[in-house]
Amino acid sequence: MSSGKVASVLGLFDTSDALMEAIPKVKGKNLGRLEAYTPYPIHGIDEALGLRRSPLGGMVLVMGILGAITAFGFEFWVSAVDYPLVTGGKAPWSWEAFIPIMFEVTVLFATFTAGLGMMILLNKLPFFGHPVLASDAIKAITRDRFALSIEAEGEGFDAEAARAALAAAGATGIETLPAPDETPAFTAEYLLRSAGGIFIACVLAGLATYGAVKLFPVLPPMSHMEDQPKLDAQKPDAFFKDGFGMRMPVPGTVARGYLPLGVASEDAAASLVNPLAPTPAVLAEGRRLFQIRCAVCHGPLADGTPSLTSAYGAKPADLQAQRVRDFPDGKIFWVITMGKNAMPSHAADLTVDQRWAIVYYVRALQRAQNATDAEAKEAGAR
Amino acid sequence: MRQSDRTPTLLRGTLLLGVLAVAAAYREVPPSRFWANWLLWFILFFTVALGSLFLVALEHLVNAKWSVPVRRVPERLATLLIPACLMGLVAFAALPVLFPGTRPAALHDPQLAGKAFWLSIPFVSLRALVVFGLVLTGLAVLVGGSLRQDATRDPAFNVRARKFAPAFMAMFALSITLVAFDWISALTPAWYSDIFGVYLFAGAFLGGLAATSLAVLHLKAQGRLEGVRRDHLYNLGGFLFAFTVFWSYIGFAQYLLMWYANLPDEVVYFQARLAGGWHAVTILLAVLHFVMPFFALITRDAKGDGARLRRVAVLMLAAHVLDMYWLIFPALGGGPRLGWPEVGFALCFLSLALLWVRGALQKGEDMPVGDPFLQEGLEFRL
Repeated sequence: MSSGKVASVLGLFDTSDALMEAIPKVKGKNLGRLEAYTPYPIHGIDEALGLRRSPLGGMVLVMGILGAITAFGFEFWVSAVDYPLVTGGKAPWSWEAFIPIMFEVTVLFATFTAGLGMMILLNKLPFFGHPVLASDAIKAITRDRFALSIEAEGEGFDAEAARAALAAAGATGIETLPAPDETPAFTAEYLLRSAGGIFIACVLAGLATYGAVKLFPVLPPMSHMEDQPKLDAQKPDAFFKDGFGMRMPVPGTVARGYLPLGVASEDAAASLVNPLAPTPAVLAEGRRLFQIRCAVCHGPLADGTPSLTSAYGAKPADLQAQRVRDFPDGKIFWVITMGKNAMPSHAADLTVDQRWAIVYYVRALQRAQNATDAEAKEAGAR
Repeated sequence: MRQSDRTPTLLRGTLLLGVLAVAAAYREVPPSRFWANWLLWFILFFTVALGSLFLVALEHLVNAKWSVPVRRVPERLATLLIPACLMGLVAFAALPVLFPGTRPAALHDPQLAGKAFWLSIPFVSLRALVVFGLVLTGLAVLVGGSLRQDATRDPAFNVRARKFAPAFMAMFALSITLVAFDWISALTPAWYSDIFGVYLFAGAFLGGLAATSLAVLHLKAQGRLEGVRRDHLYNLGGFLFAFTVFWSYIGFAQYLLMWYANLPDEVVYFQARLAGGWHAVTILLAVLHFVMPFFALITRDAKGDGARLRRVAVLMLAAHVLDMYWLIFPALGGGPRLGWPEVGFALCFLSLALLWVRGALQKGEDMPVGDPFLQEGLEFRL
């Protein structure tokens, strides 16, 4: 494993005072960066070693402020620029409502910076092992000895001079630590193994979930509001004697827009008069409904030749026929209401007024298709 | 030394001037303004003293060691509770003047009818007496016991104080909440806020901390707190820093919920403080009580820097005065008032407070020499 290079030279001291006294002696020789390993924190050792102040605080401050600005900018853009929306009677731009989010995002950015900055940027994690952890001295260091190490930096490190300096400073034991292999942490093998491990974990989790769902198929996570003591539409219910959940209307009930006709036969219906005025709005509504309800069979021009005919072999009435053109309005209304031959009743789909609107439109179609030259000219002139 | 010999004479002079101004104010200005000033200084004395006593109790509660060398300072400041309670007794005369809930008309006000008994003079007075009894009991046990320990050197006091501290916390919570509700919130009795007691607690603790820091730095400058180092100052600074954030958090949380809900009986409180001249005072309060101390103390160096801590402590006390002024004076109606009566009251009671604290600082030992943890506290390092 060892590359023959030296990572550091470690000197052991019996007391913390001996360590503190040794630091200035070794430091003056400028052999390399100093590092101390002790079983417990020693006050003032940072200053003695000349460790620089951690930049983490500054990083956290900058990122925290950035978090506040990010949250503010995002909320301002969302609620005042991109989609201004009055909520609770407040103006879209209400800084008060932004504050909690700004606070949270500030904390989020700051804590992530603190955690990740400390681990990745400053402590340079992940690494698989530190040379000191593999040393003979590690047991003593974690128990009752105090170590001072001179860390090799670059090529010019003189391990022998470092050993001599530590000995001169009173170290009771000196150890030269070999540098670990300089293979990068993220080798192809490592990445492959990690990916394989993650894949296996995903498969296992998926199988476990599948098995759990199969074993316990109907365990609703929450059943609030699923069972309610109420009558459901279209469902049987024991509440009423007849066993139906829905009620019939009281006899004689008339739905809005569905007044009875007052006539009993097709011939009698001939006497009915269209109650609507032939305004553009009524004609437009008639055309809309005709195209929805009638054009499928009678054709968009009401001439009985739609595309459906070939498919079904049916022969819908040609409303442009002279016979139909001679029908009184009431008779067309009657047919829409009651149906005729294969045509079903449209009474359930169309209100009375809607049916009369369609009658107007049928009349308009008939007139348009059978216009005289003079009429066509007049219409074209308009 | 000559300068310090002259200071009490000077303070007595300003006190005399202040007393004359207060007497003149009693004759010249409307009673509501006189009693509002009286109430302001009663609340200021009470909160700073109780905040200091809370700090003492907190240290006993958590068995803190670092604070033992400086504990005598908040103990001495807590004796301000004695003049505060006397001022509170005088403030009973303010009840019919300032508090609408004490007037007979309250019985016929639909918003107050249900609270009339709670707000009536006998019940408010009774509660105030109970509160004064509770806090003076705390003072006698925690401060009196500590002073006696100087002579007896009996470590049993530490055990007693630690057992008493949890009970005192309950007494403290009740006291500060009742004072907040009865003497400040009741100025606008139709308005209510559950968190108001916590808001006053945050301000009171900050006031106590600021006064403690200032007095510690004062004694340290005179060489009377030998062994109190940067590490101790750092903890006081850290406390101060943390509680500026806590105060802002509580204050803003109270504002945000009322602003959002916009209920007529809640929002009036902030409407009064965001209208006219009070708007500027509100912004000034946020700047002085949060923005400035927050950024002044945010770095690690700042918290242990005596000179900066002194400036922030003075700022914090001024902000606390402004905070209490902001709580009490809008109830008088109209804009913020700052005339000769306010200056006279400030002169009178500031002189009184300084004289009292000076006297307290001259009596007994500067550190709790009988506390067995004193040495451990002196050896405290961050």
